[in-house]
Amino acid sequence: MNKKRRPVASKPSGTTSKQSLGPILVAEDDRVTMNLLERKLSGWGYQVHRAEDGQQAWHFLKRPEIRIALLDWMMPGMEGPELCHKLRQSKKSHYTYLILLTSRDTSFDIIQGLEAGADDYMTKPINLLELRARLQTAHRIINLEDNLIKAKRRLSRLASTDSLTHAWNRRAIFGFLAEELSRFGREGRPFGLLMIDIDHFKEINDRYGHPAGDSVLKQLVTLVRSNLRNYDRVARYGGDELILLLPGSDKKATETIASRLLERVRQHRFKISRRISIQITISVGSTTVTSSHDMADNLVKAADRALYQAKKLGRDRMVMLDAAEKNKK
Amino acid sequence: MAEKKGASSPIDRKEALERIGGDEAFLQELLIIYDEEFHEKYDELEKAVQEKDFQAIREAGHYLKGASANLSLPALREAAWKMEQAGQNQNLEAAREALSSLEKEYQRLKEFLRSGS
Repeated sequence: MNKKRRPVASKPSGTTSKQSLGPILVAEDDRVTMNLLERKLSGWGYQVHRAEDGQQAWHFLKRPEIRIALLDWMMPGMEGPELCHKLRQSKKSHYTYLILLTSRDTSFDIIQGLEAGADDYMTKPINLLELRARLQTAHRIINLEDNLIKAKRRLSRLASTDSLTHAWNRRAIFGFLAEELSRFGREGRPFGLLMIDIDHFKEINDRYGHPAGDSVLKQLVTLVRSNLRNYDRVARYGGDELILLLPGSDKKATETIASRLLERVRQHRFKISRRISIQITISVGSTTVTSSHDMADNLVKAADRALYQAKKLGRDRMVMLDAAEKNKK
Repeated sequence: MAEKKGASSPIDRKEALERIGGDEAFLQELLIIYDEEFHEKYDELEKAVQEKDFQAIREAGHYLKGASANLSLPALREAAWKMEQAGQNQNLEAAREALSSLEKEYQRLKEFLRSGS
């Protein structure tokens, strides 16, 4: 006990601009403990949210910005372990680190608390140095968790995008297509599908080289995207073919979008090198969903057939076919 | 300036201060809050004992136990703990006893603080 401890953040309420450690929830019905915790936590740089009963605590816990919570074991409304359990059952996207506070001589079951989903527990009266150390652990765990989620997102993004153009890849677009089809079945919301192919792409490659061809393709994706709504999906179907999914667009809207794209491409100058830029045209095959029996495959085939016809009719144009017309060879 | 030592001291000031990082003024503030809370809970307890509401006895006892522990008030914590136990065991006699020792220990703390510790 003779060890001289350095006082922890003994600054009074003066709010100096300390490093911000983010929001923290303190759920505690004992006002002495609450005031003590609030004072110290805000001194360390936390933005403290107070809850005095279980319901209030739950209200805060659900919020995504709350990543650390100190929950009293015994509280009116809802007890700590119940809150832990409820939170773990919920689908909160960000991990929340939960520390249960218990009294030294309450007969409670630590295992029960941890099994309910708490990450840690502390006994009251709370030693503030110990609390601070445990909060550091909390931050470490949260960082690990966040990095893991980031890595997961990155991987799933890599697995669904085309590395050259950063458009969606074939696999991804079929996923979106399936979603739109089931939505059409549920809500009857229409959608359009466009298949786009650069006219005489081979000549561009032969004449200017493949890097130039790649670059034209990339510029086309950018141009197409800038003329769509942000919920439309652009995917690279293969080679120089793009496939566009236009949620909510009926036949007429799909046609309008297609003609707009044809026009924009005609007007655009695609840069090949610092000095050379070229003009290109595209051909577009389009289709829209018409029946809940339409299948992703059939729709893509219809758009593909429409594209083939557009090419045959002289390129730089759009042809529209229904998926149902596939049988009328 | 001299700290009163020994088990009989109603507050272990050294321990309390160590816990809150040596902030004297803050300890005073917390004691004021404790004072308000104590009165509120004491009234609740009196009522609960009269009405034999053991659940309320247990909860208020638990509450005071935590608050007392926080400020290193060992005797008050002990009395509050007995109160909580009395609620849990549905022992009215023990609750009455606990109530009077809470009262007694509270007075002792008040005097101790007044006498300028």
